[in-house]
Amino acid sequence: MSEIIRYKALRKTVHGELLLDIDVLEIHEHACVALSGRNGAGKSTLMRIIAGLEAPDSVTVTFAGQTMSWRRACQRMRTHVIYLHQHPYLFDRSVTDNIAYGLRRQGLTIKEISSKVSEALDWAGIGHLQMRNARELSGGERQRVAFARARILSPRVLLLDEPTANMDSEAREQTHRMIKLLKDDGVSILLATHEFHIVAHLCDAHLSLESGSLHPQSIGLEDGERKIIPYG
Amino acid sequence: MDSLSAATAESFRLLFSGDLALWIIIFTSFSVSVRAILIAAPFAFVAAFLMAHLRYPGRRAMIAGFSAMQSIPAVVVGLTVYLVFSRSGPLGDLNLLFTRPAMIIGQILLSFPLLVALSHAAFQAADRRAWETSVTLGAKPYRAFLTLIHEVRFGLTAALIAGFGRIIAEVGCSMMAGGNILGYTRNIPTAIALETTKGEFSQAIALGMVLLVMALLLNGLLAFFQGRGVMSS
Repeated sequence: MSEIIRYKALRKTVHGELLLDIDVLEIHEHACVALSGRNGAGKSTLMRIIAGLEAPDSVTVTFAGQTMSWRRACQRMRTHVIYLHQHPYLFDRSVTDNIAYGLRRQGLTIKEISSKVSEALDWAGIGHLQMRNARELSGGERQRVAFARARILSPRVLLLDEPTANMDSEAREQTHRMIKLLKDDGVSILLATHEFHIVAHLCDAHLSLESGSLHPQSIGLEDGERKIIPYG
Repeated sequence: MDSLSAATAESFRLLFSGDLALWIIIFTSFSVSVRAILIAAPFAFVAAFLMAHLRYPGRRAMIAGFSAMQSIPAVVVGLTVYLVFSRSGPLGDLNLLFTRPAMIIGQILLSFPLLVALSHAAFQAADRRAWETSVTLGAKPYRAFLTLIHEVRFGLTAALIAGFGRIIAEVGCSMMAGGNILGYTRNIPTAIALETTKGEFSQAIALGMVLLVMALLLNGLLAFFQGRGVMSS
């Protein structure tokens, strides 16, 4: 699996304390990597740095073979890397408008947008919700809209911040199915979780964030059953 | 009592007979205040957004400053505009004193702090994820800003209504900056003040009724939009 992005010497200080001190983090194509760690370990901060939402103190980013600053990388990776909050935010408009949001910035015709949105609605199984205001949906439905809204932009990397937190088992299963589908579509996934065993069946690698640095963990499967990606 | 009843009856006649002088005064009021609020609002929204979302030295002082400036009396703003645009003032050469543009400038100054303070509250209450989601879905900053405006539209509409309510009914600034010239800068509040001192109550009552209906309508709308803002957040 080839590498999409590499973060080298990533440091982040929060309130005077070193939260992240990561030598190397590589995100590979078609890989689903679990990122675990206790609450406050810096999982969300790391994801937000990768997503371009929070600046690190220092880092060197290599994207598409070119080494660049974090700021430059954020511009280059726009829509290639999409971050989904733990509780995805849906705009106060219809489900269709939410899903089409990113597409409207890509200069597509209305017909092309409409066709892609229809396909995304079908993919997420939310065609019946298309005219509903997204704010009226249940937690599981919101999650499906958020996944469809991200997938429609054909991202290379999806950053999922505890996507199944506070979900019932049915909604959790649904979310796992969507993650699997995205993975099958070739999207690389970095999945923050503090319950690795729940997502183990989806993942190709497991990184634990402890004391600011990343530690590769066994994913609890026999060698050969799953391709293990070398990290760190 | 009889004269008051007669004046009230006459005021209704003036209102509904399409009295030109009366309707020019009403038109002046709305024309000046709507323009003032439309000019002030975009700048106020941007300032409020920056205050809510950026961290920079002096930010808290700015927030406190705009909050304090809401209570500046209209007549003081009018006096400032008068001094600036009077013949011997720094901008006297522009010959703007006692014109509608001078009234608009005065009303912009009057409404701006209120617009900033209320829209800052709306942006402050907005979910931070709205901006982040917009950015992560590929929106450039100005586009994300427009999305955020849409997300807090009820709060911003309430700010607009409150700002409009502040300037449509003020006397001091309009009187000093506009000069209360009949058919040009005379608006509802200055006309009421003048007609009352002349003892011509019918026009004053008619205009007062227009202001009263406007105030009730604006407050009703304000309550509605503030309610929607709370519900949608």
